[in-house]
Amino acid sequence: MSAVISEKKSRNNLVVSYLTVGGIIILAMMVFGVLMLLAQGGSLNLSPAAFYQFLTIHGTGMVGAAALAAAGVMWYFLSKYVELSKKIAQVNLALFLIGVVMVIIGVFSFEYASAWTFLYPLPAISANAWGVTGALLYLFGMLILGIGFLLFYLDTGRAIIKKYGSLAKGLGWDVISGKKAEKDAPSSTIVASTMVTIVNITALTAGAIVLIMNIINVINPAFTFDPLLAKNLTFAFGHIFANSIIYMAVIAVYEILSKYTNRPWKANKPFLIAWTMSTAFTLVIYTHHMLMDSVMPKWMLIMGQVLSYANGLPVLVITAYGALMIVYKSGIKWDMGSGLIFLSMFGWVVGVVPAIVDATIVVNHVMHNTKWVPGHFHMYMALGACAMIFGFMYYLAKEDSNVEEQIFDKIAFLGYTLGILGLSGSFLVSGALSTPRRWATHFPEWMAPANFGAAAGVLTALSLTMFVVHFIRYLSNRNKVEMSPESKKLA
Amino acid sequence: MVQMVASIVSLFFMSVITAIFVFVAAKSQERREYKPIKKKWYKARTFYGVTLVIAMLVVTIYTLRELPYDQPVYGAETEPTIVDVEAVQFGWIMSETEFSVGEPIEFHVTSSDVTHGFGIYDKDKNLLAQTQAMPEYTNEVYITFDKPGTYEILCLEYCGLAHHAMIGKIEVK
Repeated sequence: MSAVISEKKSRNNLVVSYLTVGGIIILAMMVFGVLMLLAQGGSLNLSPAAFYQFLTIHGTGMVGAAALAAAGVMWYFLSKYVELSKKIAQVNLALFLIGVVMVIIGVFSFEYASAWTFLYPLPAISANAWGVTGALLYLFGMLILGIGFLLFYLDTGRAIIKKYGSLAKGLGWDVISGKKAEKDAPSSTIVASTMVTIVNITALTAGAIVLIMNIINVINPAFTFDPLLAKNLTFAFGHIFANSIIYMAVIAVYEILSKYTNRPWKANKPFLIAWTMSTAFTLVIYTHHMLMDSVMPKWMLIMGQVLSYANGLPVLVITAYGALMIVYKSGIKWDMGSGLIFLSMFGWVVGVVPAIVDATIVVNHVMHNTKWVPGHFHMYMALGACAMIFGFMYYLAKEDSNVEEQIFDKIAFLGYTLGILGLSGSFLVSGALSTPRRWATHFPEWMAPANFGAAAGVLTALSLTMFVVHFIRYLSNRNKVEMSPESKKLA
Repeated sequence: MVQMVASIVSLFFMSVITAIFVFVAAKSQERREYKPIKKKWYKARTFYGVTLVIAMLVVTIYTLRELPYDQPVYGAETEPTIVDVEAVQFGWIMSETEFSVGEPIEFHVTSSDVTHGFGIYDKDKNLLAQTQAMPEYTNEVYITFDKPGTYEILCLEYCGLAHHAMIGKIEVK
């Protein structure tokens, strides 16, 4: 029995490290986000160099930190089904931290500011804003960070193949084809983890290629590459990797809602087909980032719209619908964990709407690279993916310690919800007003929504601070209490 | 106009989704057996799923009829004005900057350094059309101005520290 408890403690220690690093970075990145909005609103005097450095660190840091925390969520649940390597997960964390330090030094000490997109050949052609050292620190930092994640997903893939025979079986293709009964289908955690393993190994490989291309070009500008190929690789990497955050974090929704409602959330055929669709679509719909490149093959751009629409179906028809069904008349006990998890499904679905609208080519023609884009992704990333992560943090604190939730946590829940809705809403309004994204300054007619967004951002950051305080209370309490080998009863 | 339609459509569906989540949350405290709920909801899901697919197909077909990439069909006597645009950090070099109302224009856009975004704004700061300005490639954007005035070209792809200052002007008489 003590071996079981020790194993559980050790697993939780690792997951807690992922969540702590991820949570702290997300909070810090929020501060940069608020500062940028204040500058755009004319309320803060920020030099363009500082603004674009903040832009670079905010985009890179948010996606990296949320991906790390979501990987922790995935690792926590996946390790209950397959044997994962703790060493690999530790190496990933170490490489992540090394990468983060390099990126921070590159950005703040060497004034590197290419935004997270580092669109070739911008890292090498900065109009004397930054030099070779800054660019190399950032690009190598990203590469090292990416290698860590690549090792992580190679390990999850290895473990799934070892237990289930193949990644196809991890996605439940033998059940879809009728070779295996539905009752023997892999769990939702296995299916989601297999999907993420497939898409992220592809994304990270694409990312590594374009990072190395940029590194070579920075070191020797005589070596040039095709800018359109580089752009395709950048968005293939960025789109897939950022989207995988929600597909990792949604594992918490499946596991936690099922526990809280005492209702099973089993993978059936429609569920498996939906995840296979998500796997295929997530890999190919990055072209909706390139709808304004008319030199791209037209069929690829049309597929960018059509498959972006189709990619909404698995979440709208299967996952969100399943979450609503499992909660409906379930007598669920609402607390911070279950509340944030339910909120996260709302955030995901509600954010999908303006995203699908923006993937329509005729709309994209007048909304691409306006603030409409951060409007929709802040909704499904902050109110969707991050709420899943924070919900999991509360769940873990409850399961692993006797820290009680307080009234401040409930206030923070409300503050976080309103804050993100206000922030995303301000971005959407700005986008409808044609305000460009990634601009250090705004014309007067564009300033009001930016200031409103900054205020909403402050509310969000304060609320998140309360979440973090709860997590710190859990960290200081968790080693003082006896751990039961069985999970606490939540329902 | 497009921005207005996009906003209204988004707001409508986002409100519907909000109402559904609030309804389910409000009903969550009652406790009923799951089996009959599942049976009923699965039936409803088939209808909902099919409706959603059909709606998406209709919108897809409707919105793909006319794409901004397609060169407009010009009348027999009409020759479009071709404007060569070269983006440089941090400005626009255009072969022509004065046009007339009703004159069909084709902007052939490229870049001599990094990627930029060529966005055409009217005097009220509404984005009318855009394309990417890529090194080694030429993207085309078609427009016929129907109102006289000063229009601005804003950079819509982050290109360096003076990205927000990369503003050009064109006159339409």
